[in-house]
Amino acid sequence: MIQKKICILGAAGVGKTSLTAQFVYSKFSEKYMSTMGVKIDKKMLDIDGIQVNLMIWDIHGEEKFKKITTSYLRGAAGMITVIDGTRPETIQTAHEILTRVHTDIGNIPNIFLLNKHDLTDAWDISEQNMAELQKYNNPIYTTSAKTGEHVEQSFHALAQLLIS
Amino acid sequence: MNHLPTTLFQYLANHSIQQLEPAWLKLEKHSDIIIDMGGTWQHYSPKIPQTGQSATTIFDVLLGMLPIHESFELPQVQLKNEQYTDIFAIQDNGCDWLLFCDVTQNTLQLQQYQQVSNDLILLKAQMKQTLHRYIGHEVVARIEQGEMLLDAAGERKNISTLFVDIRGFTPFNERHDAQIVMQTLNDYMNCMLPPIMQHHGMIDKIMGDGVMAVFGVLPSQHHSSLDALQTAKQMIQAVHQLNQQRLNQGLEQLGIGVGIASGEAVLGVLGSHERRTFTAIGRHVNLAARLESNARVGEILIDEATHQALAKPISFTPVTLTLKGIGQTDIFSQTLPCTSNQGKL
Ligand SMILES: Nc1nc2c(ncn2[C@@H]2O[C@H](COP(=O)(O)OP(=O)(O)OP(=O)(O)O)[C@@H](O)[C@H]2O)c(=O)[nH]1
Ligand SMILES: [Mg+2]
Repeated sequence: MIQKKICILGAAGVGKTSLTAQFVYSKFSEKYMSTMGVKIDKKMLDIDGIQVNLMIWDIHGEEKFKKITTSYLRGAAGMITVIDGTRPETIQTAHEILTRVHTDIGNIPNIFLLNKHDLTDAWDISEQNMAELQKYNNPIYTTSAKTGEHVEQSFHALAQLLIS
Repeated sequence: MNHLPTTLFQYLANHSIQQLEPAWLKLEKHSDIIIDMGGTWQHYSPKIPQTGQSATTIFDVLLGMLPIHESFELPQVQLKNEQYTDIFAIQDNGCDWLLFCDVTQNTLQLQQYQQVSNDLILLKAQMKQTLHRYIGHEVVARIEQGEMLLDAAGERKNISTLFVDIRGFTPFNERHDAQIVMQTLNDYMNCMLPPIMQHHGMIDKIMGDGVMAVFGVLPSQHHSSLDALQTAKQMIQAVHQLNQQRLNQGLEQLGIGVGIASGEAVLGVLGSHERRTFTAIGRHVNLAARLESNARVGEILIDEATHQALAKPISFTPVTLTLKGIGQTDIFSQTLPCTSNQGKL
């Protein structure tokens, strides 16, 4: 068995905790409880016959007056950057986080999740937004923590990146 | 550091340390092996660390972090539900240290503030999008299609203006904490905004717990008065339903009151290219606002012009009111059930 630590980052309220809860417990709640500091969950995955114990660090939302401490990312093998597809301004936050992580920790495997895809009416991601994200050359998934769309797939894809 | 008399320093130190419930591990230099330990470990872990063990086997939180290459800090790590600890990794001469300090109380308090601020971020984004969708885009499109004039004088049109607000929201706001207030406001707004859109109205402004909407600007098959009246009825019905749920949940019920007036208004778009906002200006707009402020819970007050345009529905009874700044006015009133135990608000 191998253990891998991954961190979930993004602006406040983009759905980091909900994605983790959907992935680990297959649960979703409409109620919003802001994460303080960090909460750690675990899930065992089977990646091509290899048992991977994924330690998921669900970190509080990045905000103007409360930046994420990059010490949380020590020892992380990979990261997930979450964007709220109904709030394009959360892409800017993702850029800021990644820049800081790259400076403090270095380049670690990353995937982007454009979350809340079930909210089709409010969805507000433009071609230009997509082009900006594609520059990173990291996988991008549209997800819904509510319906479960692409949640399992994206976590698996990251785990795959980590062991290959 | 500010010099404190030893007794006071001792007192303060003991007091703060007690609250933090510190627990520590002494690690072999450049390794994860425990060589000594102390403090209230039972507070942090079901497994009590032993000398000779790897610290990582006790706390998988530390995975990938040991040995300690430089001192660092992990603030507010949630260990169990509702228990938070700060973890300090400290380099020393000849050994390394790990220090755990309980910060649960402080964190739970901060959580409350954080929640309010984050709820606001989401609510603001939602409102911005709603406004942009229903005012911005449509108006901009109509201007581009030449259906609406953009000159400084604006376009004259017969419209109906509706004002609605939540009765007793200000005292409610003062009695409850911000998180509950925001959630409640959101719930009531969800009763008031959708009917406007369904009846081809446009939201002109959202003012705290009140909304101004205009009818007769966007295309509709009905007269603006009818659209406005249907909106008002649907709003009250939706609030009534919400109040029934709130009654069952033992929550306080709030009512709404509506004022509608019709007449000529100058329509225009104000502001710069990016931030154009639509607005209606006219004598009847003030009248509608006055009517709303006189309406009781569940009451719809309409002016004579609206009543006329609706072909004088018998469900409305005539009233004469003295309105501030306007004087004696003949108007019409209808009251619908709005709270689940009316009169006993
Ligand atoms: N419709 C919908 N709502 C979602 C989705 N993901 C999250 N939400 C809602 O968005 C709100 C915030 O979700 P969280 O998962 O707590 O967000 P977070 O990123 O962990 O927030 P912080 O911990 O404060 O940074 C909650 O009300 C969720 O129910 C989604 O995919 N679809
Ligand atoms: Mg969270």
